[in-house]
Amino acid sequence: MGCSASLPERSSNQLGRGNSENGGGQDAKNLRVKLVLLGDSGVGKSCIVLRFVRGQFDPTSKVTVGASFLSQTIALQDSTTVKFEIWDTAGQERYASLAPLYYRGAAVAVVVYDITSLESFNKAQYWVKELQKHGSSDIVLALVGNKADLHEQREVPIQDGIEYAEKNGMFFIETSAKTADNINELFEEIAKRLPRPSTN
Amino acid sequence: MPSDTGSSAPHHDLDPEPQSVEEQLASVTLSVSDGQPSTHQETNGVVLESVNQNTQLVMEEQLQHISVPAGEIDEVRESADRGVVWGRTASEVDMDGLSSPSSSGYAGERGSSSETSGSVIGDVVEQDEIEETRNDVIVDEVSESRTPWLPAKRHVDEDDASISWRKRKKHFFILSNSGKPIYSRYGDEHKLAGFSATLQAIISFVEDGGDCVKLLRAGKHQVVFLVKGPIYLVCISCTEEPYESLKGQLELIYDQMLVILTKSVNRCFEKNPKFDMTPLLGGTDVVFSSLIHSFSWNPATFLHAYTCLPLAYATRQAAGAILQDVADSGVLFAILMSRHKVVSLVGAQKASLHPDDMLLLANFVMSSESFRTSESFSPVCLPRYNPFAFLYAYIHYFDADTYLMLLTTNSDAFYHLKDCRIRIEAVLFKSNVLSEVQRSLIDGGMHIEDLLVDPLTRSESSSHLGQHKPPTESLERLKEPYLGVGGPAGLWHFIYRSIYLDQYVSSEFSSPINTPRQQKRLYRAYQKLFASMHDKGVGPHKTQFRRDENYVLLCWVTQDFELYAAFDPLADKASAIKACNRVCQWVKDVENEIFLLDFIAPSVSFRYTLQE
Repeated sequence: MGCSASLPERSSNQLGRGNSENGGGQDAKNLRVKLVLLGDSGVGKSCIVLRFVRGQFDPTSKVTVGASFLSQTIALQDSTTVKFEIWDTAGQERYASLAPLYYRGAAVAVVVYDITSLESFNKAQYWVKELQKHGSSDIVLALVGNKADLHEQREVPIQDGIEYAEKNGMFFIETSAKTADNINELFEEIAKRLPRPSTN
Repeated sequence: MPSDTGSSAPHHDLDPEPQSVEEQLASVTLSVSDGQPSTHQETNGVVLESVNQNTQLVMEEQLQHISVPAGEIDEVRESADRGVVWGRTASEVDMDGLSSPSSSGYAGERGSSSETSGSVIGDVVEQDEIEETRNDVIVDEVSESRTPWLPAKRHVDEDDASISWRKRKKHFFILSNSGKPIYSRYGDEHKLAGFSATLQAIISFVEDGGDCVKLLRAGKHQVVFLVKGPIYLVCISCTEEPYESLKGQLELIYDQMLVILTKSVNRCFEKNPKFDMTPLLGGTDVVFSSLIHSFSWNPATFLHAYTCLPLAYATRQAAGAILQDVADSGVLFAILMSRHKVVSLVGAQKASLHPDDMLLLANFVMSSESFRTSESFSPVCLPRYNPFAFLYAYIHYFDADTYLMLLTTNSDAFYHLKDCRIRIEAVLFKSNVLSEVQRSLIDGGMHIEDLLVDPLTRSESSSHLGQHKPPTESLERLKEPYLGVGGPAGLWHFIYRSIYLDQYVSSEFSSPINTPRQQKRLYRAYQKLFASMHDKGVGPHKTQFRRDENYVLLCWVTQDFELYAAFDPLADKASAIKACNRVCQWVKDVENEIFLLDFIAPSVSFRYTLQE
């Protein structure tokens, strides 16, 4: 299947990552989903993931190269568990053409911008368009305005985020990886929105 | 070169008798002349070397024309505090240097390597579309507000008007052939637009004459140029390193850039000669600065060889076996390293890894902090393997020092490589490889104190590293660092490079070479020695013995190996030669532990004896 972005193999696995499944069952109670984070460099994608997966925040966090792979399982109130297999992609321009490698077959895409950077919001819109064009048709899209703790330097009004997300059928939330604000909420909300495999 | 008061002997054997200082000075021609250009014109104290000799007249004329910047280099750098500004004259030349945040149209080629055709390039059209969309939507500049998210670059506040910037001993620049800055070791590239334009003017002036500028000398500064298609690389240095060494460093910097972008970046310049490449390298400053740092400590950068972590033969075999297993399942290269040393490495079928590619790959991985956080999957290019295509690297750190790199041509292989890593990890754990690696990192490899004074006792000791160390004696040495220093015959340090294996081993640093500054000085001395031994104009040489106020340096080159050894400056020549013979014997005795041996290449089996 090479690098073609437009042919997600949804037939073999509605939520997962196509033919590269390496064991592990997929049942109604224990979901396993591929999630990809996209967005401009420096918006805090890695910080969101590290806060969610390890509960850490490193203010000197490092530029991601290629993409990092992490996983985290959460339990929902209806006693289902969701294992997120997270692709934390690099935001640099040179990796843009390689993004399909990582979002291909993803059940969830989290598009992140920095509320203190209008430019990163523009870039987020680019990623949304790209995902609409080339992502899975039933992909769950979330728009995240990160660095909400820096509200004094805000350049992107919360209303702009809400409106853009609504127009594009996305789930919207503002987070702060630094204060951990809304990080777990983000992933819990995503988990709730996942299409459940039919029970038989 | 005030430090070169030694002699050189470009003969098969060393000079039969130790010479007096006067005699040594009389035969100093080689070591001094290695800096002399073969083709040069001198104008205003600036010497310019170029490729074609027949363009000398053009050069002279040209130098007079551009003597504003070039002639001032010396004066300005010597007296930077007088505030003379060189290069500013050109700062108006290319005013659009800052203001063209264009999207690149850069789409690195995917792993379309020759062997496997797993990847489809059928989405080129889609890629173009993506790039166009992006053109409309975003402005690709590193915004000021978010710079702290990038790794800190050194001295970003500087530019070519800063005194501190001018006083830096060694600058490296990458620029485009339209004069746009791409990378500068010091200072902010964007502020150096004028300076870059000046460098570009020098290069293109010489190119207009159908020639290619190699080197400008101005006082104690050398300006070394390297042209790689649309990319220009320049080093300005007053470190007295040989031209060939500096040129080699520029080549490595260029190849490091290819590791990140591949040669397909050239197409961006074909589409748009004014293309601004800095956004494409966003966040990679640390990769380049770490490489440049290694030019002053890592012998691999001039030896073009790699080094192994010393390990018991069985331990390395265990690691090699599981890597081989994995390589047979569609992995192109499986490499296990600890810091910059190889634990084991395996290539699929006929694929072989060039030592320079290993150096650049290891530098890329070690300098990118994000690889330590979690397992990663990243495109990388190995310039000596295929400069036009990306391979895909699965990277995982087992501990703070030891990491696994699995390279493949298949962009979909992540989950397979992840499974491979889990298998490898289990085997490494079961056979204690990782703990042995940690132990080796602490113990080190060859300590010159262990080189036996009396070779007769050698047979009694086992041929394992470190086991014949007389413990009491070395303890005493630690207590008296200024007395009984080094090994026998005043041996301070050595590097042994096996030509067949593409590997080298260097002894551990010990007193008196125990500060970073002394190590760097010795490194530079080896580098110079290497360049003079391999000087195509004068060499090749078999042996060289030079004595200066810092060291006695002895170099011995055979078909199979090269030995570089540093001794106390008062060392006796005959004893130094004996010590070198013993080092070679020692290396042979422990070759199983210090080298990664494969079955084809002859190892250290040839016997040589250095004669007085």
